[in-house]
Amino acid sequence: MNSGAWEEVGCAKLWNEWCRTTDTTHLSPAKSFCMFYHLKSNPSVVLCQCNCYVAEDQQYQWLEKVFGSCPKKNMQVMILTCRHVTDYKTSESTSSLHSPFLKALKTQNFKEPPCCPLLEQPNIVHDLPAAVLSYCQVWKIPAVLYLCYTDVMKLDLITVEAFRPILSSRSLKGLVKNIPQSTEILKKLMTTNEIQSNIYT
Amino acid sequence: MASRYDRAITVFSPDGHLFQVEYAQEAVKKGSTAVGIRGTDIVVLGVEKKSVAKLQDERTVRKICALDDHVCMAFAGLTADARVVINRARVECQSHKLTVEDPVTVEYITRFIATLKQRYTQSNGRRPFGISALIVGFDDDGIPRLYQTDPSGTYHAWKANAIGRSAKTVREFLEKNYTEDAIANDNEAIKLAIRALLEVVQSGGKNIELAIIRRNQPLKMFSAKEIELQVTEIEKEKEEAEKKKSKKTT
Repeated sequence: MNSGAWEEVGCAKLWNEWCRTTDTTHLSPAKSFCMFYHLKSNPSVVLCQCNCYVAEDQQYQWLEKVFGSCPKKNMQVMILTCRHVTDYKTSESTSSLHSPFLKALKTQNFKEPPCCPLLEQPNIVHDLPAAVLSYCQVWKIPAVLYLCYTDVMKLDLITVEAFRPILSSRSLKGLVKNIPQSTEILKKLMTTNEIQSNIYT
Repeated sequence: MASRYDRAITVFSPDGHLFQVEYAQEAVKKGSTAVGIRGTDIVVLGVEKKSVAKLQDERTVRKICALDDHVCMAFAGLTADARVVINRARVECQSHKLTVEDPVTVEYITRFIATLKQRYTQSNGRRPFGISALIVGFDDDGIPRLYQTDPSGTYHAWKANAIGRSAKTVREFLEKNYTEDAIANDNEAIKLAIRALLEVVQSGGKNIELAIIRRNQPLKMFSAKEIELQVTEIEKEKEEAEKKKSKKTT
């Protein structure tokens, strides 16, 4: 986010029992939980980075605050989220699953074919991503949700790479820059985020 | 269904699974890769070094440990469990030497470790050891040996094997490339181990640690320089092979 291409345009602060700090009035923007950025070169592209858990009873208000004032025509929403692969219910043997893998869910108005297979029943999407997708379905906004099932508890390079097919989708093609050093940059970002764990050697 | 049968490991599930043991095998996959190769006159153990924190002393993060002068092992999985197993194995090696005045055979110490692991899959209140081990060495008869144990307490002899993260990829590489030529001499066996690791190690030679045992010689750990030398040789050979290939096609 500090690459200079994105500009902060707002934040959504909230508090529930899962939040780590109790004082919401003195939260600096850096500590806020849902940050909104827009692309400097194309201000109509808005990115929301949500680092906290939005409780079920707060989701509706969050959605109203965020989407309420937006014109809903010509809007397209893409949601990226992760889940641990142990939550994935399938009749296949789990040893044949090659995690991380991507599954998609879309609203009725999203006409583009998704970049990966659709999420099969009985799997469901949880929390805020589900709330956003439901909201988009109700308000007939074309939206797609990409869910990555991964077998690690912390984000790592392989999981992030699993999202790569999305970059070739029609909606993002115009925004994607083909940088040959993208893998190197990703690696650097991932290694700085790695907390040293000595449990496994 | 699994959640009802994985609370206590002494319980079988209706379809015959011991879920805790299977989950322990998942814990092994979280450790970094280790590869073992049995040559004709040499045994090689190669591991992917875990990245060490800045302030951490590198010497205390070791995946390859000597159990006795002629036996050593590499593990993958829970560090603390490995420490306990290695300590027990080392004591057993010395106890055996003092009792029967002969050093342990590689198979004996492997069986000891495997039996220890199996005991923990059959008592209540304890969980299995979350490590797999590759045990290499030479017996008195001069034959090189490589054994692999896993959390369930089974052990098998192998010509070449890999454990830990990406073990499947490395094993497939070894299945394709372990030929009589590849282990014809010691240097080739060492190169095979490094090539196998380079398939899955992300930053090349500096993240590889290597140990060898030659017949009637003690364990030798390779220095970073020696490994770099081998890696450069391998890359040169690769380039030459590519050149030959492109010449053939043109």
